[in-house]
Amino acid sequence: MENHPCPYGGYLKCKNFFCEYGNALSEVLHYCCDVLEKIAQGDTSQKIDIVVERNAVQKLINSINKVSEELSEIIELTHELAIGICEHFDVLRRLQEGDFSATASEDSSVEVVRMLGQLINKQRDRFVEYINKIKEQHQELIQSYEQQKTIISSIGVAVIVVEEDMTIEYVNEEFESLTGYTKKEVEGKMKWTEFIAPEMLHKMIEYHKLRRINPSLAPRQYESKLKDRNGKIKDVLLNVEMLPYTKKSIASIIDISERKKIQEQLIHSQKMESLGFLSGRVAHEFNNILTAVLGFSGILYSKIEDPQLKNYVQKIIEASERARDLSKKLLLFSRKEESKEDIQEISLNKFLNEFSEFLKPVIGKDIELKINLPEEEIFYKIDRTHLEVIFMNLVTNARDAMPKGGELSICLKRVSIDAEYSYTHPLVMPGEYLLIILSDTGIGMDEQTKQKIFEPFFTTKPKGKGTGLGLSTVFGLVKKYNGHIHVYSEISKGTTFKIYLPIKETKLKHSIDKNALKGLETILIVDDDEQTRGYISSMLKDYGYKVYEAKDGQEALKIFERNKDQIALSLVDLIMPGIPGIEVMRQIKKIKPEAKVIIISGHPVKLKNIITVEKTISPEEILFKIRNMIDGKE
Amino acid sequence: MADRSLDYCGLKCPYPILKLSALYPQFKQGEIIEVIADCPTFEKDIKAWASKLNKTILSIEKMGNKLKVTIRI
Repeated sequence: MENHPCPYGGYLKCKNFFCEYGNALSEVLHYCCDVLEKIAQGDTSQKIDIVVERNAVQKLINSINKVSEELSEIIELTHELAIGICEHFDVLRRLQEGDFSATASEDSSVEVVRMLGQLINKQRDRFVEYINKIKEQHQELIQSYEQQKTIISSIGVAVIVVEEDMTIEYVNEEFESLTGYTKKEVEGKMKWTEFIAPEMLHKMIEYHKLRRINPSLAPRQYESKLKDRNGKIKDVLLNVEMLPYTKKSIASIIDISERKKIQEQLIHSQKMESLGFLSGRVAHEFNNILTAVLGFSGILYSKIEDPQLKNYVQKIIEASERARDLSKKLLLFSRKEESKEDIQEISLNKFLNEFSEFLKPVIGKDIELKINLPEEEIFYKIDRTHLEVIFMNLVTNARDAMPKGGELSICLKRVSIDAEYSYTHPLVMPGEYLLIILSDTGIGMDEQTKQKIFEPFFTTKPKGKGTGLGLSTVFGLVKKYNGHIHVYSEISKGTTFKIYLPIKETKLKHSIDKNALKGLETILIVDDDEQTRGYISSMLKDYGYKVYEAKDGQEALKIFERNKDQIALSLVDLIMPGIPGIEVMRQIKKIKPEAKVIIISGHPVKLKNIITVEKTISPEEILFKIRNMIDGKE
Repeated sequence: MADRSLDYCGLKCPYPILKLSALYPQFKQGEIIEVIADCPTFEKDIKAWASKLNKTILSIEKMGNKLKVTIRI
């Protein structure tokens, strides 16, 4: 635009209607409007570069340019703010989604955006710190949980967690073995009530409810009855507690069936002892009275002539004799029998073979008699009459239990009772026993009857058919020999009597064929005692064996190493200077795992899974053991 | 072909990118968004936005006074 000098100085309110610059001014104003519109649209690059003479117009142009400049700055700031907000918004979104690698930029030229970025990053770092701490705590909790789980599962006691509605939430492995159900079958699926015996159900539900009102209202520890998978009822001791902050309870369950059984055995044995004492006393006093009755009746009988009166006295004598027999049986039960005993070493195999012939007519044709005897002959020191009384009573009872016929089996064997068995049967001491088993396939008996069968005068037979003294006599006789009698019975299936007679004092003797003891194998004898070593060595040589001798473990191992293929068996002394016998045995087994070793000792010892022999037993017994071991019979 | 089309014509900058950011949480990774706007500074804004948020601008197309920008999320 050119300069257009105006005599009016370029004022807008020009009064000169014909002024030629009037149009030019209008153009300038139009131009200004266009620029302003573009600026309003956000294009702040617009600028008016013209210079007009009219002050007012020039002022307008200057103002427009200033607006453009300032607006440009504001827009720049707004954009910077917007981009910053968008960026931080995105970072926050990523953080919210769990992406903790998101970092807000801290380089914005706008201070507040820059600070917001810093704040977000600090907040993120704090979060990460918290999360890591929570993760650590979580890990610790998991470890603690795992440890407690292991404790609970290996505690050796069944543990369960029960919810308020009786659903079982948790069970440990012990509970699985106690009930026969698996974790998978029980947890969250079965109710606690399904495991409780019907007679205890009402009480248990009541306790369960009361405990949730106030734990002190129900007992913490009590006995109950648990039903397992097979419907078997077990006596259990429960210990119940509420789990803090929940309506759940935790219960530990101990199977006390065995303990109860032991208690019952003890009570029963005490009862039998008292009965024995009482009946012994009564029978003794009764015998004294009977002596007088029988004595004076005898005198009276000889003095009376009148046949009728004589007959009456005869009846008194007969009744008194019956009473004397009765008291004799009572004395047998009480083990106070004063008669002379005829204890002799008898072959039980022979006795049973002979006695079975006598028993056959007693049991009749409908009952099949099976006698199961060991190959080796067993000797036992016992009064033959006592043995007959025992068998006679048991056999007649078995016969009466099988009115429609059946099977009666008698088995004889030698058994070793270990400490474990003794633990569950406290009256039976560990050791060697002679076991007589008598089983029938008869009607059996219930638990109540079983508990009373050995009591004097207890009978299930019709009146007049049984005295009720048969089994009590058997009981008394078995006890007389320090033995034990156990009875197992199931209704409709039959009854089994097991008689354990100790063979410690009354030494068991085998009938040994000397030829059967001979052998050609090589045996290594390890003993520091020269005499013992020499004695065993010459005994073995007499029976055909080849022998290596070693005075201690070290020498023995050297000999064994060199001759491991020839040595069939090693006899090793338990106590020796240097390497002890057990260690020598271990070393020998290391050299040759299938090596056969017998530990010999000067006193009776019992070692788990180790064959031992006492030096004091007879040479035949030692040879018998050696032969059996080499032949793989032991 | 875009998965989603956004028309911000008539909105002054920086509204288009603010609106785009607000919608962002709804977008899926890899989605293609088409934004049309007529603000003269939109091109500058969207480029800055894409750069800051690490997104790829696939195309910028001028349609008269409008601008069509295609972005991969």
